[in-house]
Amino acid sequence: MKILIKDNEVITLEELYRRKEKTRKEMAKLPFEEKIRQLVKLQKLAHGWGNKKDVIIWKVS
Amino acid sequence: MKKTLEVINELKKERLIKDYAIGGAIGVMKWVEPFFTRDLDIFVIPIQQMTKKQIISFLPVYNYLKNKGYNKWIGQWLIIEGVSVEFLPAEGLAKESVKNAVEVEFENVKIKVMTPEYLIALLLIAGRDKDIRKIEMLLNQTDVDMNRLMKILTKYNLTEKFEKIR
Repeated sequence: MKILIKDNEVITLEELYRRKEKTRKEMAKLPFEEKIRQLVKLQKLAHGWGNKKDVIIWKVS
Repeated sequence: MKKTLEVINELKKERLIKDYAIGGAIGVMKWVEPFFTRDLDIFVIPIQQMTKKQIISFLPVYNYLKNKGYNKWIGQWLIIEGVSVEFLPAEGLAKESVKNAVEVEFENVKIKVMTPEYLIALLLIAGRDKDIRKIEMLLNQTDVDMNRLMKILTKYNLTEKFEKIR
């Protein structure tokens, strides 16, 4: 199967998954502080959009 | 978060605990992409010697924190500077994980985080679906010293469990 992505590029599904995995590995190298900031965004998302009112949104600077 | 970590460091400085390391989801997150979690797991080696029959009391820790104004509990979590923290006694594999944890910095605060190899071993023991997913993330997204991992798994009879999920 092939799919059309941004900039009119056509790639296979396998290629899409390979790129996703590459992005994950790159995100794994982010500074710890940035990862925690992203976690807080996820906590906000779960609390608001996900309606999980028991989720505690951490304080970060 | 920075203040939370400073408060946790104080516990060691004040000799209320022997040592600590961050484990659980946040420990894993040090090594992999960010993902959702609710709490900060702090594995603690208490000052007192632990025996199997003994009840481990974190009361001196909680009293110290209470005196500093940290007295809000939500479920099993103590809220320290807006972060939900859980203290867990480190014994056996967890104790070894704390001893071999690496020092890293968070906004110039020195903290200890468990290594991927020890985290994998601890996650194997927990063994829930979400723990297995974290093991996969560690294996795929960070450098895992396989020799070191296999030594730990052999020591704690976890090799069979590990082979099943690979």
